[in-house]
Amino acid sequence: MSPNTMSCPLQSGNADVLLSYCAHMLDEERTELIEQHVAMCAECFALAEEQKTVWAALDGWESEPISAGFDNALFARIAAAERSSAWEQWTAPVRQWLAGDIGWKPALSVGVACLTLVVGIYLQNPARPVAATPTVEIAAQELEQAERALEDMEMLRQLEPTADEEKRL
Amino acid sequence: MAVATIERDAELMLRVREGDIESFAVLLEKYRGPVVHFLHRMILNQAVAEELAQEVFLRVYRSRANYEPTAKFTTWLFRIASHLALNHIRDGRHERNQASLDEEIGEGMERQVASRGPSVEQTLVRESKFVEIRRAIQNLPAKQRAAVLMHKYEEMEYSQIAAVLECSESAVKSLLFRAYEGLRAKLAHLAG
Ligand SMILES: [Zn+2]
Repeated sequence: MSPNTMSCPLQSGNADVLLSYCAHMLDEERTELIEQHVAMCAECFALAEEQKTVWAALDGWESEPISAGFDNALFARIAAAERSSAWEQWTAPVRQWLAGDIGWKPALSVGVACLTLVVGIYLQNPARPVAATPTVEIAAQELEQAERALEDMEMLRQLEPTADEEKRL
Repeated sequence: MAVATIERDAELMLRVREGDIESFAVLLEKYRGPVVHFLHRMILNQAVAEELAQEVFLRVYRSRANYEPTAKFTTWLFRIASHLALNHIRDGRHERNQASLDEEIGEGMERQVASRGPSVEQTLVRESKFVEIRRAIQNLPAKQRAAVLMHKYEEMEYSQIAAVLECSESAVKSLLFRAYEGLRAKLAHLAG
């Protein structure tokens, strides 16, 4: 094959080149090559003409406008999902205990830890309540994480597009 | 992957991973339209498409902690969207939407008649074309439909469509060839 001609894409199993040509996805050089071939090959010419018609028809399919409440609904779903997973995290030990996965001893230490935390806050100890057991520290971290997630949700709400921005969409 | 080669979207998503909500808002702003329109053309019901699109962005946000820029962000995004659409169609929920499709086509026609409408005849010709195009797309097998929509409206390369649909590039070429063959058979008479 000389550099200035190409074999028939339909004969050589490269019909995708024809599709790319009709989709204007080929570079200039390859477009020129295929145009030369299409001009000489009746089969490729017919396919390209039909494909261009399909392409133009699909161009006419305009997209529908998106509901103004799309983002609100999304942020509400995100917030609900974050809340439920935070809730699941907090209540996991209790649920495990109720399901009998955890014995009495760890449950007791969780209870003691919670009590220590509550008493610590109640006495308004100037220092952060001392972690009686590692459980307290984890619980505090989870609490912080959940609070951060809720703050994030607040930020998301503030970032919602204004009515003017919505119109642009 | 070197930081410099990470594409802009992946960079934004990495910031979302670090807790930057504004970056999530930027990605949402950029891809809300493409995702909703892709899903609408997949399942031909705007309300369900928006619901599924929210699910897509919800999943993106919820999996931010595990995000790794191993592929293009849009590949990941459209993979989630395609999965949801194909599952929706597979579960037969699509069938129940067929009644609403006819309704929606009716509404679409009314809207177009109201918004333009130079002459009744021209309008009717345009509307019947509109219905034919939607029907032709609707009659394609779901995976072919997904491939065509990404190729036509998202201007994706074969390799990216392959990555989204998790199949080989040659499988995508054959999917597309069969899909367009079907569309040419149904739509070629619309020429002119
Ligand atoms: Zn040929």
